[in-house]
Amino acid sequence: MSFLLRRLLQAIFLLIGVSILTFLFSTLAPGNYLDEMRLNPQISAATLASLRAQYDLNRPLPFRYARWVNAVAHGELGYSFAYNGPVAPLLWIRARNTLLLTLTAMLLAWALALPLGIWSAERRGHLPDRAISLATATLMVVPELVLALGLLILAARSGWFPTGGMVSVGFAELSRWGKLRDLAMHMALPVAALVLSALPILVRHIRAAVAEELGAPFFRAATAHGIPRRKLLYRYALRAAANPMISLFGFSVGTLLSASLLVEMVMSWPGLGPLLLEAILARDLYVVIGGVLFSTIFLVCGNFLGDLLLYWADPRIRTAGGAR
Amino acid sequence: MDRRRVRRWFVALLVLHAVVGGAGFLAPYDPVKQDREHAYLPPMRVHFLGRGHLHLRPFFYAERLREGTFDEFEEDTEKAIPLRFFSTGEQYRLLGFLPSRRHLFGAEGARLYLLGSDGLGRDQLSRMLYGGQISLLAGLLGAGGTIFVAAMIGTVAGFYGGWRDTLLMRLAELFLALPWLYLLFALRAFLPLTVSPLRAFLLVVVVLAAVGWARPARLVRGVVLSVKERDFVRAARGFGAGDAYLVRRHILPETRSVLLTQAAILVPQFVLAEMTLSFIGLGIPEPVPSWGNLLAILQQYSVLVSYWWMYLPALAIVPFFVGYQGLANALHVDGVTVKIEGKRGGTHHDIGTRFSPAQTD
Amino acid sequence: MEALLKLENVGKRYGGVDASGVRKEVRALDDVSLTIYPRSTLALVGPSGSGKSTLALCMALLEPMSSGKIWFEGTEITNLPERQRRAVRSNIQMVFQDPVSSLNPRMTALELVMEPLRVQKRGDHRAQRGKAGDLLERVGLRGEKLNERPSEFSGGQRQRIAIARALALEPKLLILDEALSALDCSVQAQIVNLLFELQASLALTYVFITHDMAMAAHLADEIAVMDHGRVVEMGVVARIVNGPQHAVTQRLLAAARGIDNVADAPRPVQ
Repeated sequence: MSFLLRRLLQAIFLLIGVSILTFLFSTLAPGNYLDEMRLNPQISAATLASLRAQYDLNRPLPFRYARWVNAVAHGELGYSFAYNGPVAPLLWIRARNTLLLTLTAMLLAWALALPLGIWSAERRGHLPDRAISLATATLMVVPELVLALGLLILAARSGWFPTGGMVSVGFAELSRWGKLRDLAMHMALPVAALVLSALPILVRHIRAAVAEELGAPFFRAATAHGIPRRKLLYRYALRAAANPMISLFGFSVGTLLSASLLVEMVMSWPGLGPLLLEAILARDLYVVIGGVLFSTIFLVCGNFLGDLLLYWADPRIRTAGGAR
Repeated sequence: MDRRRVRRWFVALLVLHAVVGGAGFLAPYDPVKQDREHAYLPPMRVHFLGRGHLHLRPFFYAERLREGTFDEFEEDTEKAIPLRFFSTGEQYRLLGFLPSRRHLFGAEGARLYLLGSDGLGRDQLSRMLYGGQISLLAGLLGAGGTIFVAAMIGTVAGFYGGWRDTLLMRLAELFLALPWLYLLFALRAFLPLTVSPLRAFLLVVVVLAAVGWARPARLVRGVVLSVKERDFVRAARGFGAGDAYLVRRHILPETRSVLLTQAAILVPQFVLAEMTLSFIGLGIPEPVPSWGNLLAILQQYSVLVSYWWMYLPALAIVPFFVGYQGLANALHVDGVTVKIEGKRGGTHHDIGTRFSPAQTD
Repeated sequence: MEALLKLENVGKRYGGVDASGVRKEVRALDDVSLTIYPRSTLALVGPSGSGKSTLALCMALLEPMSSGKIWFEGTEITNLPERQRRAVRSNIQMVFQDPVSSLNPRMTALELVMEPLRVQKRGDHRAQRGKAGDLLERVGLRGEKLNERPSEFSGGQRQRIAIARALALEPKLLILDEALSALDCSVQAQIVNLLFELQASLALTYVFITHDMAMAAHLADEIAVMDHGRVVEMGVVARIVNGPQHAVTQRLLAAARGIDNVADAPRPVQ
């Protein structure tokens, strides 16, 4: 239990640290945000004045930070200067979209990686293993940007998949099934990019973990006892390889989230990524801070999830009482 | 560590860098020179067979607009232009200071766009080569800066311990927990948006160095901690050696291999980070080419559909990834497994290295 | 005769955490007082964990003491600022147990012996080289091998290098922390002879740390027995060997003589 508690505390401290850091960065921005806004004819002087009063942008930093923390605790994440509205709802929608993408990609990646990795491990040294190794090695040298752009070009030239956005224009009019199909078509490319970029590492890890168990003495003993292959694989090898694989799981959530930033931007998927970019270019302070915070929360949650799973799966961690 | 393997990869990398470094010589044209008559030309072919017989000297045909269109080109078979090698062309400066006019190949009368041209008629091949100089330089400098910062921080944390260690390592954990790319963007964006190319370049380098120091610093700290307790360090203290001497003479040399392997991982990561930054417009601005801003045009749908050769600069980085990955593997580095092994005590697998700035660790 | 090194009520505490996570204070040294006279040999004997190495490090000024005082040739050196310490350091040198870890594997034998001279800035490069060469020759290592790294030498030779290095600053006191334990018997004998010879010709004072009572008896004039951070018994070799008072001393003697039953060991004189 203390293991989990400690992890939780670490996560919280991390979040606090990140929020302070991002808040600090905002102060590096030369010039007052409101000054820049003054140049925007769409915003009246009255709005400016009230904003200034509301956000006390002239007050000292710790004061502003405390105020912001207080606001966040009440679910209020500030005001978006670019979108002319509160930040929170904006973030929620985008976050949902990002999660949709990331979780789908994650599930798919694992669904593919597990059988591939296990098969590789079983047939290690032989053709299937070699072929898979070659494929993963090739994928590993292709960075996400190149991959995403490549997929995009393929889609654009072939016309098989839409090249941007989350839904088509007539989405609302579609039937239930049509809506699902439309969404899936739009998701296909970004998910493919994410899966392809995550796959090589996953496959390699799984292969290594399983191969190690397959070569272990206890496994050989079990084989000698005549236990059928399927049972061997699932009962014994996978169980033993579960530990590193679970760690990998928690870890891969984080990396996928980061990769999704890039993919979202390239493929115009309306997630946190493009929002963050726009906000940065538009100097939309609170959106940036909110966006970075959200992503960090996801990351930390992913890691914590990994810890939870590990705790549940590995009795050693439980009994050790969290002692290192 | 298999020294021969390391050396082979190192040589391979050297050759790759030399190709980019020799951009002035290898590129037929000035990357900035426009030719709006020949915008968006697809890659041109070089022929050896013409009018029925084989030519020793390769040649190409000038391109002309197809009848009735204003953006489709075709070969003008009337105008065959021979390719000249080691020809004189526009002036450039090799390695930035040696002026020369000699190019690997060139032609009179028309331009040979081996990899096509962009929307302003600029030669993509030349832009790729020159762009590589910028991107690689940013990557190398960024990695160098990071290694330097990491070495300093890691040494201070490991050597002095105490509150310095705790503070620095907590800071490192913080930086590691932040999504790499987000932090990069945020940092870059909070600095002035439009600056001169040189300043933008320096900014990119500084930002890269500021973001990537955490993991190498932790590794250096680990080495310093273990070396600090070695008897030969104690013995040197016994001779009256001061802290600075101990660090310089005994401790830092031990960190060399860790730093080298980290450098092999970081350089491609940073090149990719520069590419990403420039791609979205926060990096090197026009007209200076970099692999990133060469790809920026692909954000337009029309380009995506019609002008496939604009994608080619994206592939330029792949051989470098192969090279650096080979080097890192030869130096026995696990890129991804470090975190898993360190934090959770899982098994240690050498699965090779994955370079990606989107990786948080 | 004036004492060379004098320790009074020396204590050393570490804060630490024990196996179950409870914060605990470890007393590595507890109220140790010793006097060492010039040109003598003192053996510090004790089981592992008794604090002998810690005491050696404190004597060599390589570890700070938590309490107590220390004098060198009549001058108190307990809390000297580092600058003045540097001068004293040249008088007290140490030879470590494991020459593999005490010699930087990247340096050559010559560089290793020259290092103390370079750190203390004694003489120019050529003079340093000459002196180092002489010292190495003194300990029995000849010319051609001097530019080799420690990995090229045998265990005994490495200890010779370590000894030569320790002598570079012409110390008066040499502390040898289990310096012979890692060597085979025959090599041990050679090194011991070397050490005796050096002691005579260079007027050295030795402090030997060892867990082997037999070796202590062979090498030393005086023996100090340690247990759990305290000096439990101290005296001239003959007295300790023939009439041990403390249980620990008796056990150590018994072990050295290969006698399993302590009951058969010599009885303390009533």
